[in-house]
Amino acid sequence: MKNTTGCKIIEILNLSDEQLVELSRKNVLSLSLEEMKAVQKYFEKFKRNPTDIEIETIAQTWSEHCKHKTLTGIIEYTEEKEDGKKTERTYNNLLKETVFKATVELNKEWCLSVFKDNAGVIEFDSENGVAFKVETHNHPSALEPYGGSATGIGGVIRDILGVGLGAKPLANTDVFCFGNPNTESSKVPEGMHHPKRIAKGVVSGVRDYGNRMGIPTVNGMVCFDDGYMANPLVYCGTMGIIPKDKIEKKVNSGDLILVVGGRTGRDGIHGATFSSVQLDQESDVSAVQIGNPIIEKKVLDTMIKARDLNLYRAVTDCGAGGLSSAVGELGEETGAVVYLDKVPLKYDGLCPWEIWISEAQERMVFAVLPENKEKIVEVFEKENVEAVFIGEFTADKKLTLMYGGNVVASMNMEFLHNGVPKPTRPAVYKIKEEKIQKSVEMDSSEISRALKASLSDLNVCSKEWIVRQYDHEVQGQTVIKPLQGNNVEISGPGDASVIFPYTVVKGTKKGIVLSNGLNPQYGKINTYKMAASAIEEALRNAVAVGASIEKMSVLDNFCWGNPDNPEILGSLVRAANACYDMSKAFGVPFISGKDSLHNEYSIGGKRYSIPPALLISAMGVIENIANTVTMPLKNDGDKIFFLGTTRNELGGSVLAKIKGIKDGIAPDVYPEESRDIMKKIYQAVNESLVEACHDCSEGGLAVAISEMAFAAGKGVKVNIDAVKIAGAKSQRTDLTAAEILFSESNGRFVVEVKPENEDRFKEILKGAVFAEVGCVKDDKNVVFESEKNKIEIREDVGVLLNSWRSTINW
Amino acid sequence: MFYIEIYTKKGFKNSHGEHVLSDILGIGVKDITKVEYSPLYVIDGDITSAEAETIASELLSDKIIETYICRSEKQSKEEDGKIGSPFSVIEVWYRKGVTDTVSESVVKAVKDLGILKEIKVKTGHKYYLYGKVSQIVLSDVATKLLANTLVQEYIAQ
Repeated sequence: MKNTTGCKIIEILNLSDEQLVELSRKNVLSLSLEEMKAVQKYFEKFKRNPTDIEIETIAQTWSEHCKHKTLTGIIEYTEEKEDGKKTERTYNNLLKETVFKATVELNKEWCLSVFKDNAGVIEFDSENGVAFKVETHNHPSALEPYGGSATGIGGVIRDILGVGLGAKPLANTDVFCFGNPNTESSKVPEGMHHPKRIAKGVVSGVRDYGNRMGIPTVNGMVCFDDGYMANPLVYCGTMGIIPKDKIEKKVNSGDLILVVGGRTGRDGIHGATFSSVQLDQESDVSAVQIGNPIIEKKVLDTMIKARDLNLYRAVTDCGAGGLSSAVGELGEETGAVVYLDKVPLKYDGLCPWEIWISEAQERMVFAVLPENKEKIVEVFEKENVEAVFIGEFTADKKLTLMYGGNVVASMNMEFLHNGVPKPTRPAVYKIKEEKIQKSVEMDSSEISRALKASLSDLNVCSKEWIVRQYDHEVQGQTVIKPLQGNNVEISGPGDASVIFPYTVVKGTKKGIVLSNGLNPQYGKINTYKMAASAIEEALRNAVAVGASIEKMSVLDNFCWGNPDNPEILGSLVRAANACYDMSKAFGVPFISGKDSLHNEYSIGGKRYSIPPALLISAMGVIENIANTVTMPLKNDGDKIFFLGTTRNELGGSVLAKIKGIKDGIAPDVYPEESRDIMKKIYQAVNESLVEACHDCSEGGLAVAISEMAFAAGKGVKVNIDAVKIAGAKSQRTDLTAAEILFSESNGRFVVEVKPENEDRFKEILKGAVFAEVGCVKDDKNVVFESEKNKIEIREDVGVLLNSWRSTINW
Repeated sequence: MFYIEIYTKKGFKNSHGEHVLSDILGIGVKDITKVEYSPLYVIDGDITSAEAETIASELLSDKIIETYICRSEKQSKEEDGKIGSPFSVIEVWYRKGVTDTVSESVVKAVKDLGILKEIKVKTGHKYYLYGKVSQIVLSDVATKLLANTLVQEYIAQ
């Protein structure tokens, strides 16, 4: 398919299986032999070969990115235990039988729109819903970090604009996984960017796009691991608010198709199919898009005006697959005719299929009632936003594309949307029993060194260099912020962010909490536990700032390697099962999600897969934003309580990495125990009994307490012997001081309470596992002591703060 | 066609240049001691020298901390007043067909200035690298830090 202004006929009817595979590969269609044969069979019925635009349309519509063929296909799963016993199960649709099933069974009435639109929507109040979506933009960011991440955030903002009849974006989130930024240049594979260059480029892209859109970036995290060296993960999320009466959309035949915003160029050709291709040195240049936030900001402002004037019936964004996906999606039930020569172009010379599948950014597609034709264009033109009618929705259930007066594509919508053969993939998971590590004996000075090393570790250390580049205050509604402390010079890491949407919802007291959970290190041991831990962590973070577990929702984002490898797919099935189990156990529904598979790269012909990563993003509604808390300690003399059970769970921990500890149990989740604690914390926060609260995650208790202390510039004294401990399943219960301080067991919180509130706090916590472990001091020393183990660690908060802050200062 | 280069005035900090120098040291190149950064604009269209000067002074440069050169042809290294200085130059431009959003903004802003003629704008980056380095090292700096050859091309001399 050369770059001509015409249309080519693609010979397919007489091709052999080998030739079909070659045609798919050569044209970056990413279609399997089975799929190519389905295309061949379809056109045999009409006794003609397809045009290039027809075959490209099928490839985009059937792409893994758009159809999620792996997670919705048939999976024959085998689980094998160490004793050789096997259990087998066939999934006809993994997503429907795990993640979505939990949501259906939970049947929360406040879930307003789930898994059917561009984002999930839950109830905010009687008049409004709140929408949340998180997307990935991994492969483009590996090739062009700045453009790739900028269009990642730009794309997910458009998802929020394209949910229902359009939500107004209130906040962005970003989560990244990079290779080690300190990798020697000579060790970076030929043709790949250095991880530090990728990290800096990605951060700049999100910064520039988010800041220029006037949307605060309020929550995120960064994970470093060599496994992401050539294949970074870039997750971008956006939350927005939408009136309840604008959540549903419906396209009718006769509605006009309006394209609004940016012009179409060759940007991002094959983006949707490219996301199913492994990265190598010869990846396709045109798969990279470049964003323009100024155009998108104008689209945002004008379309919200048009929405409130009821000038259109449906809208969606032009994302992966471009107009092909957007028009195809809106016209699935009706049919559509599009005149491609009416699409505004950046420059001449694009052939019809390029116009149709280009992923040029900042474009939205609307279904407009004919009587509103002039009015809607006037709204956009007033602000210099280009708006052009390119066709109409029909009643023939066909997709018809016209160019230069000729029909260049004519296909049934039914075939296009439901004709993709369901692949059957084998999946295998071999369960290995986790082995507990040798007892970790460390004296006081070794623990002190380990504490400072943990605080400096790339996965724990301050991300201030990144956070401060983002505008997290714009719109003036950010109540709980990403960095918290006494002043700009002294700050600690917040657990979650809270937005108070008072400018959009007049008179409200309610807030929206956003948090996340991700830890690929646990996935190297057990992907079930990784997924369960991510869900628990996201919820824990939200609860730590005052959210109620009763009105929380979550989003899943699976980033995995090649699902054609049965063991990789098996590990994904395990994680999906954990999603079902935890969603049910916590009573927290999934409302939206996304998967990015084929995250692997090839060097010298050898394939490398990324460590599996499941990002869980949580969103909830807080009844009164006055009842929220931050993590820095507040008052000298206050009591420190430690809630939850500490188990011998050092598998995948920061200490295990620092000390080179082999073996170790990955943290498990005990939903009954931790849900009960979460509910009790909420009650205590709402009775104003909690001065500060912080979740315990990477680095364990030692890191959590230190962060609370240095964020406040206050001292704290903690009795290690008072911490409630228990064995991990069938393991020893006699934990050493180091194991107690650095275990990463889930379900734990550090809470500061005033002495006069101690009794009431204890009363609320009755029945839960908790202990009073220490108090806030005015001497600026963090002290951990254990009489039993003859341990005393004493560190100045300034020294600890410096350890935490000095790692990333690029 | 006008070629406009924006310089930081003497006595003011060239922040971007300092960041680039830090990155250069970070990839193990020790022989470069100072980096100065200049944004570049090529404006193609039927505009006069006076209009090009207006665009350079009123739109593209900050009068307090920056100055500019505006020539009707691309300036050679010998002409730019820095001859004799021990520096190398790397210029980075977008490849043809890659969306250049800054140029789109410049086109609009020029109209807002009241210059209503049709123009095309191309934007680039110029780095003056002080210190003695080989062509191989220059190419290394260009490809590892300054230009993503997937979407950009560079000239190093």
